[in-house]
Amino acid sequence: MRSKSKSEDPGGDRLKEMEKSAANGLTRAGLLSVVAALIVLPQSLLIGDSLGALVTGTAPFLAPLYAALGYLGLGFLRHGLDAWGGHVAFRSAQAVVASERSSLAVRQGRVSPFSDAASSGAGAALIGDKLDILLVYLTRYHTAAFKTRVLPLAILLATAFISWAAALILLVSGPLIPLFMALIGYAARDASERHLKETGSLNALLLERLNALVDIKVLDGRNTMVRQFFASADALKERTMAVLRVAFLSSTVLELFSALGVAMVAVYVGFSLLGTFNFGTYGAALTLAHGIVLLLLAPEFFAPLRELAAAWHDRAAALAVAGELAEIESRETMSILGEGEQVAALDGPVGISTRGLAFAAGKSATIVYPDIDIRAGETIAITGPSGVGKSTLLALIAGLARPERGRINVCGVDLDDVSADPWRMRLSWVSQVPHFANASLLSNITGSRGQRDEDRLEAAIAAASLRPVVAALPQGILTRLGETGSGLSGGEARRVMLAGAFYAQADIVLADEPTADLDPANAQAVTESLLALARQGKTLIVATHDRQLADRMGREIRLGDAT
Amino acid sequence: MRRLARIFIRVWRPHAGKLALGSLFSVLVVFAGTALLGLSGWFITATGIAGLAGAGIAFDVFSPSAAIRFLALGRAGARYGERLLTHDATLAGLAELRGQLLAAMTRAPLRKLASLNGSERLNHLTLDVDALDGLALRLVIPLLSAGLVLGGLLLVVWRIESGAVAAWQGASLVLGFLLSATMMLKIAQRPSRLAHKALQAVRLRFIDLMRGRPELAVAGRLAAQTSAVTDAQHRLQIEQARLDLAERLSGVLLGMASTLAAAGSLYLGVRLAEAKAIDPALAALGFFGALGAGEIMAPLHRGLSELGRILDAARRVDAQMSADQEMPRGSVIVDAHITEEPALRMDGVRYTQPGRTILQDFHLSVRAGETVALTGPSGIGKSTALLLAIGQLQSDAGSVKIHGCDIRTLDDNGLFSLATLLPQRSALMSGSILDALRLARADLGPDEAWDVLKAVSLDGVIAAKGGLDFMLGESGAGLSGGERRRLALARVLLRRPRLLLLDEPTEGLDDQTAHDVLAGIRRYLPEAAILMASHRRPETSFADRVVTLR
Repeated sequence: MRSKSKSEDPGGDRLKEMEKSAANGLTRAGLLSVVAALIVLPQSLLIGDSLGALVTGTAPFLAPLYAALGYLGLGFLRHGLDAWGGHVAFRSAQAVVASERSSLAVRQGRVSPFSDAASSGAGAALIGDKLDILLVYLTRYHTAAFKTRVLPLAILLATAFISWAAALILLVSGPLIPLFMALIGYAARDASERHLKETGSLNALLLERLNALVDIKVLDGRNTMVRQFFASADALKERTMAVLRVAFLSSTVLELFSALGVAMVAVYVGFSLLGTFNFGTYGAALTLAHGIVLLLLAPEFFAPLRELAAAWHDRAAALAVAGELAEIESRETMSILGEGEQVAALDGPVGISTRGLAFAAGKSATIVYPDIDIRAGETIAITGPSGVGKSTLLALIAGLARPERGRINVCGVDLDDVSADPWRMRLSWVSQVPHFANASLLSNITGSRGQRDEDRLEAAIAAASLRPVVAALPQGILTRLGETGSGLSGGEARRVMLAGAFYAQADIVLADEPTADLDPANAQAVTESLLALARQGKTLIVATHDRQLADRMGREIRLGDAT
Repeated sequence: MRRLARIFIRVWRPHAGKLALGSLFSVLVVFAGTALLGLSGWFITATGIAGLAGAGIAFDVFSPSAAIRFLALGRAGARYGERLLTHDATLAGLAELRGQLLAAMTRAPLRKLASLNGSERLNHLTLDVDALDGLALRLVIPLLSAGLVLGGLLLVVWRIESGAVAAWQGASLVLGFLLSATMMLKIAQRPSRLAHKALQAVRLRFIDLMRGRPELAVAGRLAAQTSAVTDAQHRLQIEQARLDLAERLSGVLLGMASTLAAAGSLYLGVRLAEAKAIDPALAALGFFGALGAGEIMAPLHRGLSELGRILDAARRVDAQMSADQEMPRGSVIVDAHITEEPALRMDGVRYTQPGRTILQDFHLSVRAGETVALTGPSGIGKSTALLLAIGQLQSDAGSVKIHGCDIRTLDDNGLFSLATLLPQRSALMSGSILDALRLARADLGPDEAWDVLKAVSLDGVIAAKGGLDFMLGESGAGLSGGERRRLALARVLLRRPRLLLLDEPTEGLDDQTAHDVLAGIRRYLPEAAILMASHRRPETSFADRVVTLR
């Protein structure tokens, strides 16, 4: 989809693509705000007529009350249309963000946990706050850019209709709108990358220290740490200010030109009315009414440009986000087999056999596995030195990683994208480092497999010897497990996973280093729980370097010897 | 609102000078903008009148047109100064706020800090500090300058045109502002808070999805968890759309208020001029002044729309600053000479967590120069015993004494000069090796640094990497897990404590290195009492005595 020729600016291309996908809504929003801004034309005619008639003593087009009411009505219409346009833009921008967010979640969720990928924290920042930066960009900057393409020209034409000299002033002082846009664009782009990185790293500095508070406290290093932090923060501030100075300067130049433009129009109109200037109009001398119209229109000529300048950093920020998205999409990642959905389980007796299986670990290294056959009810220990691919073999069997070559036959069918989901319905997985969903212990054990079965739950808790652990938790089985397992020790956490395996009553249990880093008592408890599973007739495949656990299994597959 | 004021004062008081100057510039900007419009309107109308009367030659065109040019130039210059000064003050103030936040949070008890480690909450705290930058830039300063200039403008209109016009303008603008602000405070607060919550949910669910992929995929819940992320995002967008609508309505209110002011000024001005009560040029001045006032009000909208977010962020940051006070303790100055008492003595200590007794009638004493290993299954309370020994948990019963001195009578400084702890998970920060070591002793010289690195068998590694100036990346990147552990150990040794508490000190080291490191520690601190929480062979065999918890 995005395999177009490599561009210099993947972020910019990506951003364009998003704008295109929301083009309908954004154009409608842009038109609404342009119409709103153009209401200044009838408004200024009304004012010019009223004040002009007042001075010349002639009858105005509308009586003062009606003129004021007309001005008021037009003004209300203007603000209403503008707000409407803004909201339309916001909703279209939301649609863009929604589709980006969903596709990011779907894509990242299917990335194999056994391929190297970015940290989930960085991903969370992108999918959370950073994508919302696009909202601001698409609403504010994009609308301002749309107006800039239409409004100055329209105002210029209206001005030129009354006086070519005034139009000339505008044309000279608001010179070459594209030039300005480019100027701001460059400053923005420049400041963009640097400025964003600066504030980013200031937050990184803070976060890093917040995460090290325990050490800082026991080392009594508070003062040193705060001093070091300020030294880094000051340096960052100096660099940020250097960037801001340039950025502010470029928008100051624009402000200056716009103020001067308005001032010059005012002075030109004044001298024309006095009779000092006799040029710039078409035949008849400039009237006061026309003069006032010119004065009211002049600021509107510059308004969209100033709006655009005020939103320069929106574009910079959006480009950075789009760049990050493009970077993630260009990364070559391995996805899991299947979708990870709830489906009907695969039929047939349990059986696993691999033929010529090999896995590409990194750029050059390839792990070659011996052919393996596993029958129902077997208990298998996969052993071997670390790095030999024990965990990866489990992942390959579960369809969580893709082999480079060779095939795996499960229950009589080849494991592929179609059979992976039904196959996994018969598996349970016990991770080395369990991650608990931000939910209660109960739902972490039972998952969401239909109705809860109290007896089965009790049995599962007993089998994993979790009873005392559950009793000791502040809210028992309803205690919420957070990001870090909420005070469960490593062994307890793994036993919770095992309880899940008991509860699920899957036919095959895959356990990745279930006893690593556990003290002997805990390792023993986990081993017994696993054997209890085996006694229920389950097929058990354990990747381990724990000799005692391996010896209790029915068969051992040693990796790393054959090749 | 009081919180907002407290945060504002805390952040910007040290930079009050710059901020005041910046605000002055801001007033000048707003003033020049308004004056430019009013003056131009008056100038054109007055020249129109003079031209019609044939009095063009006598009309003084030069001072008004010079004033117009001066205002145009002055406005741009003032604008530049304003932005530079206020941004400078804000960046500096927020950097200091971050520092104060760090200093305040080190006061929390260790256990709490350890549970916060690496959590989303910390991540969010940094975003909250970011949100505060709008407080001065888009709320306080624009409000201040709008108030001042508007007051001045109304005074001018009152003096030279008419009280009625000034009153009309003042009433409609103030009313519009109040309505708009009330709207944001009343209607936008709830969606703003809900949107914040939904955003949190998006992040947390996404983290759950990414970290739990193997479990979720095997359980067939990957797709369900993915749609949980999109559900949260759906909720987020509903609230965001509500918020956007409220913001736009408040913007419309502000805009309509200035339109109302201008339309009223037009009507009143024309009627007054028709009645010959004022000069027609003054009617124009009143109308254009009202337009200028509208431009004063416009920037307030941006600040008002951020109000909800800023209030929310201020609440959380303020709570973090004022919570987490130190445990109540005395401040006894520690006697310089070592008493005959054991270095650590815990008598009849009991510690319970809600619903769970962890230690019951626990006795332990460690003498100077002695190494004791504390073992037992995980979760039995080894780490808890260490935290109790260093006063970071308060026992429910019993006493804890360091060299005969009850730790409850010691303040943090006194305590940490006597004893220190190597936590189970210790964190390194980016910076040089020397910076990392200086966290433990600020005036550390290179010779001492090499000494301590040698004690933990890390001198060879660091020398190979280029010495003490070797720069560590984020969280100590550049060193392996075992090397990081040893660097953390070296920091602890530099404190030269009399009581050294080590939580699984040789985790991640192979047996030989573990033994060398332990021997090095003993050589470096021959007199110290060492208490280790251990479950590894090299540690228990190195210890003089093993205490098993059960």
